[in-house]
Amino acid sequence: MQPFAFVHADSVDDALATGGRDGARYIAGGTTLVDLMRLEVMRPRSIVDITGLPLTAIEDMRGGVRIGALATNTGVAYHPLITTRFPALVEALLSGASPQLRNMATVGGNLLQRTRCPYFRDGVSPCNKRAPGSGCAALDGYTRSHAVLGTSGRCIATHPSDMCVALVALDATVHTRGPSGVRAIPIGDFHTLPGDHPEIESALLPGELVTHVELPASAFAARSRYTKVRDRASFSFALASCAVALDLRGTAIRDARIALGGIATKPWRAREAERWLLGRATTTDNFRRAAAIALEGASPRPDNAFKVELARRTIVRALQRGAS
Amino acid sequence: MSESFVSGPSVGSAAPDLVVPGLERRVSHAEPRVLAFVRDGKLTEPVTELPTIRAELRGLGAELVVVSPGGVWSVRADDPLEPLAAASAELAAEVSDAAQRYGVTHDEDAVFVIDGRGVVRFNHRLERRGRALWATLTDALTIAGRAAHMREGHDARQRVLFTRREWTVTCLVVGCATAFLSACKEQEHRPADRRSPPAEPAPPDVEVMLRINGTVHRLTIDPRTSLLDALRERLGMTGTKKGCDGGQCGACTVLIDGKRVVSCLTLAAMVGDRDITTIEGLARDGALHPVQRAFVEHDGLQCGYCTPGQIMSAVALIREGHATSDDEVREQMSGNLCRCGAYPNIIAAIQAARRTRG
Ligand SMILES: Cc1cc2nc3c(=O)[nH]c(=O)nc-3n(C[C@H](O)[C@H](O)[C@H](O)COP(=O)(O)OP(=O)(O)OC[C@H]3O[C@@H](n4cnc5c(N)ncnc54)[C@H](O)[C@@H]3O)c2cc1C
Ligand code: SF4
Ligand code: FES
Ligand code: FES
Repeated sequence: MQPFAFVHADSVDDALATGGRDGARYIAGGTTLVDLMRLEVMRPRSIVDITGLPLTAIEDMRGGVRIGALATNTGVAYHPLITTRFPALVEALLSGASPQLRNMATVGGNLLQRTRCPYFRDGVSPCNKRAPGSGCAALDGYTRSHAVLGTSGRCIATHPSDMCVALVALDATVHTRGPSGVRAIPIGDFHTLPGDHPEIESALLPGELVTHVELPASAFAARSRYTKVRDRASFSFALASCAVALDLRGTAIRDARIALGGIATKPWRAREAERWLLGRATTTDNFRRAAAIALEGASPRPDNAFKVELARRTIVRALQRGAS
Repeated sequence: MSESFVSGPSVGSAAPDLVVPGLERRVSHAEPRVLAFVRDGKLTEPVTELPTIRAELRGLGAELVVVSPGGVWSVRADDPLEPLAAASAELAAEVSDAAQRYGVTHDEDAVFVIDGRGVVRFNHRLERRGRALWATLTDALTIAGRAAHMREGHDARQRVLFTRREWTVTCLVVGCATAFLSACKEQEHRPADRRSPPAEPAPPDVEVMLRINGTVHRLTIDPRTSLLDALRERLGMTGTKKGCDGGQCGACTVLIDGKRVVSCLTLAAMVGDRDITTIEGLARDGALHPVQRAFVEHDGLQCGYCTPGQIMSAVALIREGHATSDDEVREQMSGNLCRCGAYPNIIAAIQAARRTRG
């Protein structure tokens, strides 16, 4: 691990003053940052401990909920406001990592967790995300875990978060505070596609602090589900996952949200598939058609071609669970 | 200070109309722009900030239009400042309406970037913190520029929507009359360059008081030290094991304030004021903890390397109360791997301890 200066922030102002410095990083649960610092994939010059900041509250917000950036994944997953209103978020959080890691991991850190691409993590392979301009070892490498949607010629790494996929389906907004004020960023705009600059992963600007996430009240939140498929029964990243949220009248679909994980370079919203489902009935045939639409733009490689069909089936299963 | 955007357009939605006298000419056609709402009623020329503002505008290929009840101005990278409208009752009413459509209240400042299709691409609520209007606006422009650059840089589809060259930055400065002149005075006292990087400090060691199993240990440590290494290498408490050193195996599980965590990804410097419990702290007066006893009785181990972690995790699992069936126990123990595969007996031990307790 490279040496760094350790700073403890006593207040949000304090954090912003130190977090805005060159080479500074905030640290919350540390489950991404300490791991990647030890691998020397991340080499911050200073780290700012934000765990003392008052950003842990989970509160009602006009029928929706406002979740502090420092609320832990465990704290959110078992909170009555979340378990009663946003089942997909509970399922997504509890399907992620392990109980120990969920106790440490925070909402802010989960939003900003980094890819598990083995070439990114090994610290030596060419990787545009870790060392911009060095190339991408995955393009000619073993790509079983890589993305089939949202890829570019420079990076095909999967966004690993479960939580973020549920947040996309639930229309979350990420709230931030920077040196000169606050911003509200819809979850769909928070993560960015790799394009020519895979080293940039979110709309967050240097020094900007995520303060909280808001989930609005909606007609579809109650019927939301998260379905995750992985190599082992538990404690494993998604090969494919799907968050759905449905507003039904009888068997007719009035509104739908479909978000995908494990197969895309960012938490992926399948808007075309959602649109196609509007007004249609909750039949398996319709779900299959929607799933096919969701994967239409996929660009698989030999090692991860299986993900296209796997993702389709995951979508169908998630929709069936949502509708039942 | 607004905590969140309660109304007004969010990113990705259509920008509300803007009908400010003298401005129609510029805003009626679909041209990308940034709108900044600030509360000052009267405007004076930016003196200190003008070069920075112009540099940002040049970078963006952008125009800055400043609107207030006290007047409307345009700022461009290479042209002189241009007044577009003078103060009038009509202007004041229009800007107040516009601010409302954008969800900006009379005591707030905000910036919106709008692309060539009239879609809001960026919004930013400003905080003055005692600084002057132009200092704050300059920061906002810089951030809008960086955001635009980031977007443009890596989102191919967005790039078609607005390239750097076609950007126009329009700053509308809207508000009610407040002490702008006094703000200008504060500006003089502003530190010369807030952006200059700090002198590089040699990372110093940190002092930490670790409260482990009820005993306080005072240590001076390199900030890189994990709690796991502090326990094993500095305090000689080798009951907590290192398997993967990356959160994947659970061998290093300890309790912090009663909650199970992996000590390999915990920095010792961050847990100074917390209660840490390790495997050494479970026994009471020489008697094993019930979970330890159950592991012995049910032979919940083979080589024993994962066992301290398994036991710490199991103690927490029983306290958490989320698991009753074998499957639930398995799921809730998924963070603890056993390379010997002692799982059946581990589950049996945990179930026995759980039942005795419950
Ligand atoms: C073995 C292992 C298995 C895992 N399995 C899964 C899984 O199955 N599913 C899944 O979704 N995730 C999984 N994860 C990832 C885990 O969810 C993330 O590491 C965790 O959510 C990160 O949160 P944190 O608080 O620990 O972040 P940190 O490590 O503290 O921070 C991560 C990044 O976010 C930044 N940051 C943190 N908080 C803020 C803030 N408030 N404002 C601005 N920046 C901030 C930091 O600067 C840092 O760059 C796994 C991790 C490990 C180690
Ligand atoms: S896929 Fe992305 S993260 Fe992986 S090696 Fe290529 S550039 Fe790096
Ligand atoms: S050593 Fe900490 S989880 Fe493996
Ligand atoms: S008993 Fe050997 S690793 Fe679990």
